[in-house]
Amino acid sequence: MPTSHDLIAVAPEIILTAAAGLLLVLEAISPKVRRLAPPLAMLAVAAAAWMRIDHALPGDVWSGMLRIDRVAAFVDLYILVAVFLVVWMAAPFLRRTGTEHGEFYSLLLLAAVGAMIMASATDALPVFLGLELLSLPLYVLNAFLRRVPVSIEAGVKYFVVGAFASAFVVYGFALLYGATATTNLLEMGRVIAGSGDISPLVAVGLAMVVGGFGFKLALFPFHGWAPDVYQGGPTPVTAFLSVVPKGAALVVVLRIVDAADLLQVSHRWYVAAAILAVGSQVMGNVVAIVQRDLKRMLAYSGIAHMGYAMVAVIVAGSGGPAAREAGAAVLVYLAAYTLMNVGAFATVALFSEQESEPHLISDLAGQGWTRPLPALALAVCLFSLAGIPPFFGFTGKFVVFRAAVDHGFVWLAVVGVLNSLVSAFYYLRVVYVMYMQPLPRRVPAFASGASLSVVAALSALGVVVLGVYPAPILTAAARAILDLVG
Amino acid sequence: MLDEHLLSVVTLAPGAAALLLGLLPGRWERAHRWLAFAVSLAVFALSLLLWTGFDPDVAGFQIATERVPWIPQYGISFHLGIDGISLLLVLLTTLLVPVVILASWRSIDHHVKGFHISLLLLTTGMIGAFVALDLFLFYVFWELMLIPMYFIIGVWGGPRRIYAAVKFVIFTMVGSLLMLVAILYLAYYHHQLTGLWSYDYLDLLTTGPQLPLAGFWSPQMLVFAAFGLAFAIKVPMFPFHTWLPDAHVEAPTGGSIILAGVLLKLGTYGFIRFNRALFPLAWERAVPALMVLAVIGILYGAWVALVQPDIKKLVAYSSVSHLGFVMLGLAAGTAASTSGAVLQMVNHGLSTGALFLLVGVIYERRHTRLIADYGGIASVVPVYTGLFLLVTLASIGLPGLNGFVGEFLILAGTWSRSPVAVAFAALGIIFGAVYMLWMVQRVFWNPLTQEANTTIKDMSFRELVAVAPLVVFIIWIGVHPTTFLEPMEAAVRALLAR
Repeated sequence: MPTSHDLIAVAPEIILTAAAGLLLVLEAISPKVRRLAPPLAMLAVAAAAWMRIDHALPGDVWSGMLRIDRVAAFVDLYILVAVFLVVWMAAPFLRRTGTEHGEFYSLLLLAAVGAMIMASATDALPVFLGLELLSLPLYVLNAFLRRVPVSIEAGVKYFVVGAFASAFVVYGFALLYGATATTNLLEMGRVIAGSGDISPLVAVGLAMVVGGFGFKLALFPFHGWAPDVYQGGPTPVTAFLSVVPKGAALVVVLRIVDAADLLQVSHRWYVAAAILAVGSQVMGNVVAIVQRDLKRMLAYSGIAHMGYAMVAVIVAGSGGPAAREAGAAVLVYLAAYTLMNVGAFATVALFSEQESEPHLISDLAGQGWTRPLPALALAVCLFSLAGIPPFFGFTGKFVVFRAAVDHGFVWLAVVGVLNSLVSAFYYLRVVYVMYMQPLPRRVPAFASGASLSVVAALSALGVVVLGVYPAPILTAAARAILDLVG
Repeated sequence: MLDEHLLSVVTLAPGAAALLLGLLPGRWERAHRWLAFAVSLAVFALSLLLWTGFDPDVAGFQIATERVPWIPQYGISFHLGIDGISLLLVLLTTLLVPVVILASWRSIDHHVKGFHISLLLLTTGMIGAFVALDLFLFYVFWELMLIPMYFIIGVWGGPRRIYAAVKFVIFTMVGSLLMLVAILYLAYYHHQLTGLWSYDYLDLLTTGPQLPLAGFWSPQMLVFAAFGLAFAIKVPMFPFHTWLPDAHVEAPTGGSIILAGVLLKLGTYGFIRFNRALFPLAWERAVPALMVLAVIGILYGAWVALVQPDIKKLVAYSSVSHLGFVMLGLAAGTAASTSGAVLQMVNHGLSTGALFLLVGVIYERRHTRLIADYGGIASVVPVYTGLFLLVTLASIGLPGLNGFVGEFLILAGTWSRSPVAVAFAALGIIFGAVYMLWMVQRVFWNPLTQEANTTIKDMSFRELVAVAPLVVFIIWIGVHPTTFLEPMEAAVRALLAR
């Protein structure tokens, strides 16, 4: 039986779930109260965030299934920030596309709950529960524009691939359970670390789990779905999809890698993870160069960014101080990535005419001077994604590469910076289209929406402020990771 | 007593002013111009206080700020300071910025607001890179220059501006990103040695020479190479110079002045401040290679300049040649050659800046930069001709003007190290006179054949005001170089003693 302690521990999740239910009921009562849905959802998110910040972190709850520590809180908070911003920008978007339904917000909140459960799960069972709760609403949300074929395609594609990924994860966990006789991730890790080697059973199990999460992270070679799904899905959903599942999945991987000290146990893991990291960077960045659609470009850029984050995950497998530094780097990187991606997608939603049309980069010609604020926000987010100081994205890259250099992986840092160089090429191309090309003869009739602009501006501002003064968030990440590494 | 915040104000005021301009509506074009001009003048005036407050007997850094913790957990702090070498370069920067704004008064006629914001942000980046005493901070300032320059070339540039802007960014980033890894490694090694995290220049000064130096692939050589590549691209040294002619030709006049006057100096400054000071042993090993590349740069730049049909491109290639002299002086590493090299950095900023400004003046009138489109205009624009001739003579090293002092010191100082290099470099001086004077002859003295050239207007008052300070310093340095050599003497001696 869950104790009241257990229930209070998951109060944020409960609030969000209750709000999700309430939104569904409201929708059923009267379509007129529809307008209340976004503020209600935002209120619920804010309340959940407040519960997480204000209450003492309970640690192990639900018989050791969940561990709500500072890592979980850190990840929860940026999931909640992302959801908050996505809800905020979704209202004008849905109005414009004629899909203003309360279910949208309800599904979004449920997906967030799933991600939060993943972030705090220390057992295979809640990991899987969270993964499904995160994925199922997203299948629907991607196909939310039901009159737009590419949206349906995105939903179906994400569903098929997601089903595969879930199957991978479950089967992998089953094998790991067979090998280690426990479903607890930390226990699993200790057994693997204690055995000093990786048996074939563990190897296959780990490969399947990491592969399954590789799909969610859109890591090479599991990335194939990302460009199509990003391109087709409703833009606010894409913003959510590009940050929240990745953050949740990366934390689970980080917990496993760290508990098992994988780098010390297995050289094969090093090789495999390095292939994932470097392959994602190279593939994402090189293919992004030839993209003409902004959303597809951001999809490939996202693949590359998870490659950078994987560098820190690899280093974290060394245990000890390396794990502390690299783990904190993962958290900081995710925070940076979240903020700049949400900002970028908010401007994408602004610079779009019809959801059925591609979001061509060339359509942005001259927008830098005709719509200076959104263009500036996009430019800031792109410079940040390229890792140019003084933006937050640079801080993220700095801490990741620093962790690599400090612990004997200079080559990964060199590969990373060379990839950043390649990425500058396509990020800057968008900037040059916006600022250095004249307005086309037919100026696209772009959307407007105050809240979209606000979200874009807030994200860009956050990218600048946290880039100029990163000390607090670096400290928070360094403290948080102590709960994971100890 | 100098206010301890003076250096921070000089560094950050232009950036703050840029934010202020951002709040004003774009159609207030005159307000943007005047405000930017006023700020740049104020910054120049403040930097004169740096000069008057500077104590030439102190070898180390002075007028420094306290170390303000920025990212304390990594030992990163906001720490600025100047020595005799950076003092001159800061003054050069603050002098050139108002000149650039004046030179752009008419030629920048669209997105005026954006231009001045870019220029002011760029100014903060340039000054910051010269005065930063924390390697992380230096990197941030170094990269801060990238985006504004990208915009200046890409938005207000010539027909092939996009190609030039992208090439500029990509070339610069190749070097700077590897330098970032080198900085990270240096801080890591410092931590290994002392157990403390620090990116502070003064701390790392003792760490750099201790990096292992066995074999070519040793950490010290690799870190040295990473820094060196970043700076060699910026200088630019042969064979990394190919971005320069494109950037110069496509950039607007103001952009070219800043590029030639200051940005290239950041490369040579980086060699002094980081490669030479942090890794004296690796530097010693690299000297032959640096000398050979410098001499190739001198001769190659001169030869290519000789055949350019475009005046601006000719001046751009002449920069490759002139910066070769600077690198030669640094590589030779004697007191005279090093002082000469630092002075020559300033000289090149003044005379090449003035040349680009004057080329811009005539381009505004005739909308061509081809030598063949001119001829015999000396009688049409006498004042312009006189100024152009003076600056040309300064550039080719006529005694009594600034270029002579620098080149003489470099060659005299290099003689003891390598007479062969001096012989080749002297050849470069001759070529320099040839390509410059031949260009002047074809533009100003050949018969006046083209109808359009008979009605060119002479210098306007604004243009005279813009070029006047440069001419003053050209003559001042030529007649009394001690004023400028004295402050850097102690710093150069300390550098060479490392």
